[in-house]
Amino acid sequence: MLSALIWLPLIGALIIAVIPPAENSQTPRNIALVSSFCVFGWGLWIAINYDVAIAGLQFAEHIPWVEWLGLNYDIAIDGLSLPLMVLNGLLTLVAIWISSKEIHRPRFYFALFLLLQASVNGAFLAQDVLLFFLFYEIEIIPLYFLIAIWGGKRRGYAAIKFLLYTAVSGILLLASFLGLTFLSGANTFAYTALQNTSLPMASQLLLLAGIVVGFGIKIPFLPFHTWLPDAHVEASTPVSVILAGVLLKLGTYGLLRFGLGLFPEAWSVVAPWLAIWAAISALYGASCAIAQTDMKKVVAYSSIAHMAFILLAAAAATPISLAAAEIQMISHGLISGLLFLLVGIVYKKTGSRDVNYLRGLLNPERGLPITGALMILGVMASAGLPGMAGFVAEFLIFRGSFIAYPIPTLLCLVGTGLTAVYFLLMINKVFFGRLTPELAAMDPVNWGDQFPAVVLVILLFIFGLQPQWMIRWSEADTAALITPTAQVELSLNSLQ
Amino acid sequence: MVTTVLEPSRHPLAKYVHRLEQGLPMLDNNDQNVMEVVGILKSYGIVLDAYSNNLNYVAESQFLNLFPFFKYFNGEVNAGKLGQFWWHKRINYEYAEYCMRSMFWHGGGGLDAYVDSPEFIAVAKQAIAARWKNNPLMLSLNKLFPDFLLEQTRQMAYYTGLGQFWRVMSDMFLALSDRYDAGEIKSTSDVTQHILAALVADAAKPITYKVELGGKTYHLIPESAGITFLMDTGVPYVEAIFFRGTPFPGTVSYNAQAAQIPPEKSTFTYGALYADPLPIGGSGIPPTLLMQDMRHYLPDYLQKYYDKTGRSEQDIRVKICQTFQKSMFCVTSAALMGLVPNPLDTDDFEAQQANRTFFESWMDRLIPSQITNVNQA
Repeated sequence: MLSALIWLPLIGALIIAVIPPAENSQTPRNIALVSSFCVFGWGLWIAINYDVAIAGLQFAEHIPWVEWLGLNYDIAIDGLSLPLMVLNGLLTLVAIWISSKEIHRPRFYFALFLLLQASVNGAFLAQDVLLFFLFYEIEIIPLYFLIAIWGGKRRGYAAIKFLLYTAVSGILLLASFLGLTFLSGANTFAYTALQNTSLPMASQLLLLAGIVVGFGIKIPFLPFHTWLPDAHVEASTPVSVILAGVLLKLGTYGLLRFGLGLFPEAWSVVAPWLAIWAAISALYGASCAIAQTDMKKVVAYSSIAHMAFILLAAAAATPISLAAAEIQMISHGLISGLLFLLVGIVYKKTGSRDVNYLRGLLNPERGLPITGALMILGVMASAGLPGMAGFVAEFLIFRGSFIAYPIPTLLCLVGTGLTAVYFLLMINKVFFGRLTPELAAMDPVNWGDQFPAVVLVILLFIFGLQPQWMIRWSEADTAALITPTAQVELSLNSLQ
Repeated sequence: MVTTVLEPSRHPLAKYVHRLEQGLPMLDNNDQNVMEVVGILKSYGIVLDAYSNNLNYVAESQFLNLFPFFKYFNGEVNAGKLGQFWWHKRINYEYAEYCMRSMFWHGGGGLDAYVDSPEFIAVAKQAIAARWKNNPLMLSLNKLFPDFLLEQTRQMAYYTGLGQFWRVMSDMFLALSDRYDAGEIKSTSDVTQHILAALVADAAKPITYKVELGGKTYHLIPESAGITFLMDTGVPYVEAIFFRGTPFPGTVSYNAQAAQIPPEKSTFTYGALYADPLPIGGSGIPPTLLMQDMRHYLPDYLQKYYDKTGRSEQDIRVKICQTFQKSMFCVTSAALMGLVPNPLDTDDFEAQQANRTFFESWMDRLIPSQITNVNQA
């Protein structure tokens, strides 16, 4: 059942690869759309049939694979991975939808996108750490090509930088996974088996360090973040949507699943330092965002700041903060996907992302009024305005973390306040004022391009007004991750 | 030796000075401009007809009605009209009132002078007393604040002044369109000459105002006052609406405390000839209301042209505004030719010099206008 989420896109990619090439053919795009739609629909069906009352794995599938190595095809889903799997389905569909119909080498492009979707789904579903690592590494390949071939002027540099950073990330993760298995004497890479092993604290700390730094590169946190702004700036809009919306979440997911999940005792030791790291990363990301003149870089640094909130929540590891971390992943996925999508529309229509050049784009007749309005809504969501998903996520993170780490939480609160600063600076410069004569002749945006953004905004409102629809999937599973970091007994029920 | 031939103008807008001296409009002559100008003036004529009727209706039938809830209904108040009004299926009469108030505020011309005259005030006081003769409260308030109702009466005079002015202009523009359809209008010069001829023909048309209260007629502006169409309403209208105007939020900064608004209203340059078409496209300001009204009455040929240019319907108000500015430069050209102190074909050097001075002084005011832009569009 779950395998379809991995194999359907792979079959789609295979079909695209074998169809004969034809000039100006929309067939690859259509196949990719149908495939991603089916995967998204299948993901929703699984979500509907998922029993939220049960903590633990569901829809488990086990196929013995390389048994002498302890590697098996173990996949299952729980409240931690299910929302992210659905998010991956949605944003991949969005990314393929907004991909240009005139893109060159369409068969390779769309096949890579489906391969990316399959590998990310595989990583979210894998219950074998080595299987996770395989999917985690496979995902790098399509993304590298998507940046290197369809990127901007410095795409080669950005793609190589991404590759090197994520390769190091992968090496650290592999070392930690192998170390855990060998040091614990386990003869399997199965996640549940590794959870029950015991190691000296020094070994735990060493292995946890590899996992934290490995995923810290992926998320990314200061000082491992420098690949992200370059990758975003050079990547095409659909790739940026996926990169910010889903791929960064692989890091935070990994941090919770393999960092907190496998090393709860060591986690509680390093948690204060992680909280400080989160605060520094959040403030640094926000400060850098203020200084940027490229709209994409503003959103990229904003991502660094907002992903740091997840680290704070994970460090606190209270019932509320862990549920909030999951919600923040979904919320940030929707918001960052939306913002990159809209920046892409602005760039497509004006040929620029320079906030010092763009002006007056909210002009209702000759500007991009709908795009501007959606951008303002996206920015409001990112700044955590009540009524939108961003508020729910950040409010719960800060509420859940304050009891454990008040100072880092307050510093992160400053960071979220700065969100309004850098985004309003951008909005004010780009969308208000008098439309310049050079921009007054731009083409209008067709509804097809804006439709995905409208859907994402609607979702942000729905989850903002009815957060329980986000929380219910992961509540039981995040509660199971709780560590004795903070001696607080708060129940999510107290919020209701 | 005394020079008897006029040297070329060295004015920054010398091109337009020379055109006007030759009896040509400031707008470039080409088929595109002629089509746009005539088309927009046709829709403007239709809209002016409605504006004119409403202004005259308010002046005559809503005299000193302090709560004129149904003043835009022209006396026809029923559920259907009310529904259309709320659904905004109506003419934006607010724009006509904005123009009236702008004229009233900027003043100038004989009408402005007459409403301050003892003759007008005397009749106005009689009318006010007749209007409220059975209302002791209002009569008491009138004694306490004697200028309030008097000022309202002056405003009523401007309602009718502008209403009668637009009556003439509406007919003129619709006649222009008929002549274009008949193949008689072929150039921007033909357009200007048509307007000039109509302005001259109606120049001395009297502007009058009377109200009937309690079976008695009050001649607030009698014919004997000598208020005429061209000099007393036409010229102040051009000055107030084409040149000065008022700054609107969304079009220009209106922070008067930061001296962003000139201290003297005579130096205002916010009128139709200066307006930025882009914000007029959508900020809900009075000029936008006019563009919204005109879009409903565009002739087919102009609608087709707008459909295939720019963003089709999406930016139509901007395009209408740009075309409207073209037409307003034709009207301004005709007005200047009508007001020039000496005949344009005079051989007298001093007369030519006087004409040159006259045109250059107007061109001084048009330097920051949209004249260059409309001739590039």
